[in-house]
Amino acid sequence: MLTAAQLLEGLARFRTDEIVVTTMSSARPWGHLSDHELDFASIDSAMGHGADLALGLALARPERKVICLNGDGSMLMTLGTLATIVGAAPHNLVLFVCDNGTFEITGNQPVAGAGRVDHAALAEAAGFRNVFRFDDARDYIESLPDVLSAIGPTFVHAVVKPGSEHPIARGPSEEVAYLRPSLAESARALRRALRS
Amino acid sequence: MSPTATLRTLVATGITHVVGLPDSISGPLFDGVSKHPAMRLVTVTREGEAFAIACGLWMGGAQPLVVIQNTGFLESGDSLRGTAQRMAAPIPVLITGRGYAKMRAAGVTPESEKTPALMTSTDVDTTALLTEPTLSAWGIEFARCEGEDDPAEALLETIEEAREQERPVALVVARKLT
Repeated sequence: MLTAAQLLEGLARFRTDEIVVTTMSSARPWGHLSDHELDFASIDSAMGHGADLALGLALARPERKVICLNGDGSMLMTLGTLATIVGAAPHNLVLFVCDNGTFEITGNQPVAGAGRVDHAALAEAAGFRNVFRFDDARDYIESLPDVLSAIGPTFVHAVVKPGSEHPIARGPSEEVAYLRPSLAESARALRRALRS
Repeated sequence: MSPTATLRTLVATGITHVVGLPDSISGPLFDGVSKHPAMRLVTVTREGEAFAIACGLWMGGAQPLVVIQNTGFLESGDSLRGTAQRMAAPIPVLITGRGYAKMRAAGVTPESEKTPALMTSTDVDTTALLTEPTLSAWGIEFARCEGEDDPAEALLETIEEAREQERPVALVVARKLT
């Protein structure tokens, strides 16, 4: 079975100049793998709206690929976003849903419908141009170049083992650099990086 | 008919994207934006999405305007708080005001005491009663446009205010757009 670490390490290996928006349990591990000026953590923000932020970025910067690392709990909060993304049709958006079936950072309590909700089927029914589903590390790594080069909107349903990420915040005591500034400072830093 | 003065304000202020959900007041504006060559319309399924999408647009260098009804505004609290407000993003928000005429006819105002009798009365639409107190409680600066007020002019001031103050600023429009 795929682990969250394998998912993120694979992505870090193939990532070049894409904007990467992380959420919840992907935020800190991604910060250990990447220190890129186009990394943005939707942390200390509003849970469930990371994919919306990524959609806005994708529409504003159509020349650049935007990757969103959403969780299944976050995705379930705003399933309507799937329809909004399809309506806006950003060719440059890749939305990952890391499906571990739990709210990992609060202690792995199961999400509603854990193990029964098929995120890939939801995305396909909503009308995503490309839908991928992975639960095997080798299959995922081999397919990643195709995932990242496809004309979107692209949805990746990654079924991963539950992990043990602890609660996350922003501030000077955070382990990874991109979580130390405030959300307002991080937003401005990304804005500047995209202008340069 | 498209609200031409309002559309002119959007063009003059460089608005690139209108993000939101239409109602009977804003519907003609959505129609106008959807046909406009210089602006893009992003229709959401629920209003909370609009603030986060607008923030992503702003981070990417665009100039978005959020347009939602006051019912949807009440739904979108955590998104507004956690994205536009927390990011100090200069997002102007046009909130169309459902229930204002009924509220006036009933002789009550947003300042009226929210008694159980008032909050369950068929003479009022509680959306109007709660919109402005909620904006105040959430720390969002706002203006109200009604009666003979000029919506296009009021929107211009809202957009300028949001940009000057680098934070979300709202305009509650309780009349037809021009």
